[in-house]
Amino acid sequence: MDLVAELESVLGSERVRAHPLDRRVFAKDAGVKTGPVAAIVFPETAEETASCVRIAAEAGIPVVPRGAGTGLAGGAVPVEPALLVVMTRMNRIFEVDEQGRTAWVGPGVINLELSKQLASTGLHFAPDPSSQQSCTIGGNVGTNAGGPHCLAEGTTVAHILAVELVTVDGEIVVVGAEYPDPIGLDLRAVIVGSEGTLGIVTRVLVKLTENPPAVGTLLLGFPTVDAAAATVSEIIASGLVPAALEMMDRPMVRAVENFVHAGYPTDAAAVLLAEVAGHPEGVRAEAEMIERIARSHGATSVRTAADDAERALLWKGRKSAFGAIAQSAPDYYLHDTVVPRTRLVEVLDAIYEIAARHGISLLNVFHAGDGNLHPLVSFDASRPGELDRVLAAADEMVRVSVEAGGTLSGEHGIGLEKRDLMGLVFSADDLDAQARLREAFDPTGRMNPGKVLPEGSRCFDRAAVSGGTGR
Amino acid sequence: MSWVTDFAPERDDLDSCVTCGLCLPFCPTFRLTGDETASPRGRLAAILAVARGEQPVDERFDEMMSFCLQCRACEPPCPSMVPYGKIQERVRAELLVQRPSLRRFLRRLVLGRGLASPTMLRTAGIGVAVAQRLGLTRLVGGPTGRSLRALRRVSLPLRPTRGRSWEPRGTPVGTVALFSGCVMDVWFTPVHEALVDVLRVAGYRVVAPASQVCCGALAAHDGAAFDAVRMAAHNVRAFAEVDLVVVDAAGCGAHLRDYGHWVDGGAELAAKTVDATVLVARLLDDGALPELEGDRGEVAVQDPCHLRHAQRIVEEPRRVLRAAGYVPVEIDDLGLCCGAAGIYGLSYPDTSAELGRRKAAQVRDSGASVVASANPGCELQLRGHLDVGIEVRHPIELYRDALLDELTA
Repeated sequence: MDLVAELESVLGSERVRAHPLDRRVFAKDAGVKTGPVAAIVFPETAEETASCVRIAAEAGIPVVPRGAGTGLAGGAVPVEPALLVVMTRMNRIFEVDEQGRTAWVGPGVINLELSKQLASTGLHFAPDPSSQQSCTIGGNVGTNAGGPHCLAEGTTVAHILAVELVTVDGEIVVVGAEYPDPIGLDLRAVIVGSEGTLGIVTRVLVKLTENPPAVGTLLLGFPTVDAAAATVSEIIASGLVPAALEMMDRPMVRAVENFVHAGYPTDAAAVLLAEVAGHPEGVRAEAEMIERIARSHGATSVRTAADDAERALLWKGRKSAFGAIAQSAPDYYLHDTVVPRTRLVEVLDAIYEIAARHGISLLNVFHAGDGNLHPLVSFDASRPGELDRVLAAADEMVRVSVEAGGTLSGEHGIGLEKRDLMGLVFSADDLDAQARLREAFDPTGRMNPGKVLPEGSRCFDRAAVSGGTGR
Repeated sequence: MSWVTDFAPERDDLDSCVTCGLCLPFCPTFRLTGDETASPRGRLAAILAVARGEQPVDERFDEMMSFCLQCRACEPPCPSMVPYGKIQERVRAELLVQRPSLRRFLRRLVLGRGLASPTMLRTAGIGVAVAQRLGLTRLVGGPTGRSLRALRRVSLPLRPTRGRSWEPRGTPVGTVALFSGCVMDVWFTPVHEALVDVLRVAGYRVVAPASQVCCGALAAHDGAAFDAVRMAAHNVRAFAEVDLVVVDAAGCGAHLRDYGHWVDGGAELAAKTVDATVLVARLLDDGALPELEGDRGEVAVQDPCHLRHAQRIVEEPRRVLRAAGYVPVEIDDLGLCCGAAGIYGLSYPDTSAELGRRKAAQVRDSGASVVASANPGCELQLRGHLDVGIEVRHPIELYRDALLDELTA
């Protein structure tokens, strides 16, 4: 029996696709790269997922899991013809423990949908990527996703208690437990961020966070990018931990304002969107403190959201930023580096300089509070040589960030996009250790191969061990 | 070979999608299937593949496109402002030519020719009225039967508005033209009559030009582009003399307001076209119509896609209902399509019915005994899936009833 017939015998013909047009549509995520897809399946249970993994093994093709396809680093884009396992139909919220503040959910549950469903309980799932209205919990686990509010709450890894995982040989295992400190090695942090290279997550036990009693949201306009960056550094140095602290430069503000009409100050060189949360008294005091710091750095406008509707509108502007870029060009390339917050000003200057030197159009929007930069390049990939220039500039921007003491990725994952830059932050020994950990889960190398770790991470040739020696 | 007609999707429109995926959760077919190929972004990728000549216009492409409801719920959340509805209409025009079939031919005949013919419409109106009286509607099965039974009782003789005019009550303030539409004018006459009543109280003379025809929305959505152009040109001439055109069907309103894509002079007609709820809300704000006292209870608000998504009209129907003494109740924060979507139920009866059942459940959960909907297709779909005991009315009708109560009191 061929691959498709075999898969159809388990899932039925509706949930198996292999038409060239389907394979084409599923060939990319929200990033810039495409890859070859052999077939697409939509399992609805862990058992079906396991069957798909086993069938792929018999056919000798790799397996790539995919959620909503909002990833920007190519994590769900195959590098060789693969079985694409789409998790969107596993979108049930199985049980919510309001007292214990946890919930078992399917990996296909949409991030924002989870918090919406929980609205009546006063709880929410804290990680809030900009794509939260579309992206799935499974994708959040895969990439260890962040988001504006991860400044105070931590990224996804801090909100996952356990995962159910289908391993490469089709076994279903649970990693982690309902209590915070499981005995033995804590493998949860190994699974979170592994981008499907260790197995496919089929159920997730998430930690839920109480909604804050009061929230204050400020939109601050600055005459220069440096003034905004200096404000961020001083807020952090003052010991304040805002719930979120986001920066956008003028080109970005203009693109966003054109879409949301939220009244962003389009004449400011940069704006900061700051949020403080907690008890009403504390919120008021912290908001005043942020305003004072901003004014001391020459803030030209200070606007405080009067109610939830205004707050939602201001956030809509921030969270639409990536999509709004198409107003200037049909393609975008989005970076995700992290730099020490004390060096924001100089790294930003260097990034603007790199863009100018390569003659590319740059917009900046990022999580200023934790130094997670998202320089956003808009370009037209159909123009000859343009993508190459963009990628060359990208490479330099990453190097500048790493040289300043930062790193490759804050939240989007490594995927395909930054895989070959891993050597900038890890030594050969580090990469070998990571590759060996991966082999412990997947000795065959068929779980989302070609992602995260660059070719040759393992210090000896894999072919040499295929006979079963060396481990 | 990619595209073959003059109505091919424009490359700039296709390129405006950056594939961010923010549209996905707003798409009803994606919500039902979790399938990228049933999402706006996936469909755009498929269209782009065809535009580049890398994929053929084959059966699978046809299926992917035809499964789209054309509800345009993906447009408001799109930060790149991709004109998805326009692109989809143009793809359908290509499909009509490149994927000919008997069903397509018959649909084109009905939507492109039949709806544009007053004689055909009158015949259909009388036919339904007779069938209703003889109980023949019970004999029709499937989604057509359900819609047929959900129709209001059609009056005999018919009372079409086309070619009629009404004088204002009290001091005249101006003239407004009524867009009569096709099925609206024979099967939903009471909605037009309610709107006319309200506008007359506000001091308007109302005219319904005799030479107007169907707006062509259903033809355009099904790819009958030449017919759509012809109907649009006809209406541009019919309404050339008036300054204000009011329309009480969301589907017609959305299409009229897109006339700029279709014909010369279309943008001018679009600019003077206004939805009935928007006009009445404006008259309420100006004090030309009264805020009515009294507590009429709760009304569930169903937002027709072509009002909420295509025209971004959300507040006005609620404003009108509050002025009528109702408390509007929200039923769906995403405003997912009810599954009516023009004639979608004929092609995809199961999907249409599933969306209809979900919408009906939301209405039931609201506890309201009335649901307001400003579009004829949605009205039929709601009534078809709701139990007796929950009334489906146009918001303007609810306001008119309250207004007449007050005036006669």
